[in-house]
Amino acid sequence: MSNLAPTHEDRLYWPVQRQRNRSLYGLFVVVAAFVALYAYLFPGLLSVAGISKFAQSWLPLALVSMAQAILMLTGGISLAIGATVSLGAVIAATTMMGPLGVPGGIAAVAFSGLGIGALCGVIAIRLRLPAIIVTLAASFIIAGLALLILPRPGGAIPGWFSDLLAGNTPAALILLILAALLWKLYLATPLGLSLYAAGENPVGAYRAGVPVDTARIAAYALSGLLSTLAGLFIAAQTGSGDPVIGNAFTLNSIAAAVLGGVGFLGGRGTMRGAIAGSLLLSVMINVMFFLGFPPVAQYVAQGLIIIGAVALPEITRRFRRAR
Amino acid sequence: MTLQPIIAARGVSRSFFGNPVLQDVSIALLPGRIHALLGENGAGKSTLINLLSGALAPDGGEIAIDGKVLRKLTPSEARRAGIAVVQQELSLTSELSIAENIGLGAFPRRFGLVDYATLARKARAVCALVGLDENLSTPVGDLPLGRRQMVEIAKALFREPRVLVLDEPTSSLSAHEADTLTKLLHRLRQAGTAILYISHRLNEVMRLCDYVTVLKDGKVTADRSLQGVDAAGLVRLMVGRDPGDLFPKWTPGKDCPTIVSVAGFSCGLLRDIDLDIRRGEILGIGGLVGQGQEDLLLGLYGALPASARQAAFNGTQSLPASVSKANALGLAYVPADRKREGLHLIHSIAWNMMLPHFGHASPLRLRDRAGERELARQLADRLSIKGDLTRQVQALSGGNQQKVALAKWMPSDPPILLLNDPTRGVDVETKREIYVLLRRFAAEGKAIVLSSSDTPELVHLCDRVAVMREGGIARMIEHRELSEEAIVAAAMGAEPARSAA
Repeated sequence: MSNLAPTHEDRLYWPVQRQRNRSLYGLFVVVAAFVALYAYLFPGLLSVAGISKFAQSWLPLALVSMAQAILMLTGGISLAIGATVSLGAVIAATTMMGPLGVPGGIAAVAFSGLGIGALCGVIAIRLRLPAIIVTLAASFIIAGLALLILPRPGGAIPGWFSDLLAGNTPAALILLILAALLWKLYLATPLGLSLYAAGENPVGAYRAGVPVDTARIAAYALSGLLSTLAGLFIAAQTGSGDPVIGNAFTLNSIAAAVLGGVGFLGGRGTMRGAIAGSLLLSVMINVMFFLGFPPVAQYVAQGLIIIGAVALPEITRRFRRAR
Repeated sequence: MTLQPIIAARGVSRSFFGNPVLQDVSIALLPGRIHALLGENGAGKSTLINLLSGALAPDGGEIAIDGKVLRKLTPSEARRAGIAVVQQELSLTSELSIAENIGLGAFPRRFGLVDYATLARKARAVCALVGLDENLSTPVGDLPLGRRQMVEIAKALFREPRVLVLDEPTSSLSAHEADTLTKLLHRLRQAGTAILYISHRLNEVMRLCDYVTVLKDGKVTADRSLQGVDAAGLVRLMVGRDPGDLFPKWTPGKDCPTIVSVAGFSCGLLRDIDLDIRRGEILGIGGLVGQGQEDLLLGLYGALPASARQAAFNGTQSLPASVSKANALGLAYVPADRKREGLHLIHSIAWNMMLPHFGHASPLRLRDRAGERELARQLADRLSIKGDLTRQVQALSGGNQQKVALAKWMPSDPPILLLNDPTRGVDVETKREIYVLLRRFAAEGKAIVLSSSDTPELVHLCDRVAVMREGGIARMIEHRELSEEAIVAAAMGAEPARSAA
């Protein structure tokens, strides 16, 4: 067998990818239906400008949903995502106009996210503490840090950078596609695949030689990075930094990941599911807004849909077993 | 010239919490030999495997690889030395594909990425060896248990091991899969792999293996070639302890009316079982771990959905559909895992003993503290639980915890007691107390069903023993025929040894 040209027999990567879609078709159909409804209510969506605007409102939620899904796949969870988003936003708004410039600001945002995430990971994993407690504590500390850096909304983002990311360009969509592709690349590394094994069966994975702890700590670091980048984007959108702007993202990220079929116990779910879940949540919010739902009804409807999404597979399973 | 063992343990010992599990055990795995490791439940087989794979460190003795003594064997060193273990419990990730699972922890890489083409080629080769013809991209979660076991074996072969340890590999395999495995092991033997084979199926061991080490209570009782040994001889080497005066004298119960009777009972693993439980006797449930013993108890107790063609429970003609119905019918269940299922560890002894009582008390009525204290004191007396009853249960020894788990049912005086391995992890003195107590309950006319992994207990305490195998009752042994040999032989599916006249 030649090593140079992979034969038909050796094709494994794409069949594996196709298999990962199999439990998601239902979700994809629902997402498509909601997007169609949205396009029907708001025909302006189907233009470059419309798609650009929508992608800009969707991107931060998509990024934090990925951040949450990574942790949930390893059997963890983060309550610090919102605070980390805020921190990313204030760091961006305070550094980019300074001597570091835009590239320096981006680097500062990225490194703070990676560092904070990795630190949370080391504490939770090495000391064997429950993730939910560690990240709850971290959320207070990080929120405090954000307030220290910028006690009240302020700072600034260079105008050209705001226009580049959040102007009339589809930059947000491109960034999202880039994030998804980078995730695929990560999942094609041994460390990335270890994520699933470490989440579902850590003892078995450890026995098989999987670097369980490293995979989990790396997940925390990536999760922190994605959160601060979401903050950076929000700062670019608003042109300034706000130390509490990320608060709502903690619970929304969990909601989107759960809608996307990511399980709470680790090892269950896919990133494409989480991204689709965040899209569904974004579109849902927009559609309800267009239909003139009062804000309270929006929250109630959102809650009902999330419960329904989680309960539905369980109900169908029982129904099948009963027959 | 003698062959040098690839890995050898010399005089290793290991204890857990002061409880010796392995004592001065030696074993040598030679290339090109299929070595059987036999022993009853709890004889120390799993601990020995964990020592050989570096998952545990021995307290004493040494482990040598290729003749070189290692100061400390870590799991990664063991892997690098070519030792692969197929554990009984699976280590697979259900969301990943067959190929990804096989390569996990040892992925072929290219530019830092998983090299899927090479992975596919190598995984296909090992899958062909174990007869896995499913598409390599199938998620493991879609496979039935037997196929997952084969993936586990393929995963071990993927690392091209020099020593392959198989812990009960055939327990979930179909006959065809087991046959494929046999052929594979013959091929590996030819290629010079050392194989350690743990199985409870004696016929399989006799057919397949060359050499045997038998463990009993953590000590080696045989280390010899399998030539010229028969199954009955092996069983004798595995059992036979001196019961001493641990057990109360057995006296036949008089007048034992049937209190529970089921026919065609199915539940979980169990298929179509007929069973009578009588007042005034202890019915033992024996067999290897996980042959359906727990399903039987939980099914009778209404905790698992069960069905039966015919059922009579203490006067009613149906199975209890829930735990509270079972309680009302006079059944009580004491679980094996007392820490998780039987007790509330951080609460007081008295509180734990009152728990079933709380369930019956009328709601919204103040608790009768004085009455509770009095009842708790009586129960403690009856079961000789000593000391302050307001202590947390977790402060008690395993044996005393078990007594509390038993005591909590006593106020309602249930005529049927279902006990799941009540003496596991219990010290000898408390064991004796529990045995005396159980015989006394039987003498008072209660029906006791005792599932146990301790064979002497079944032989010396029970009136009858149902030996379970693969979800059925392999044999019902009456008291006069009870012996450890008979129980182990029935559990392992060996022909009962007939005494030559």
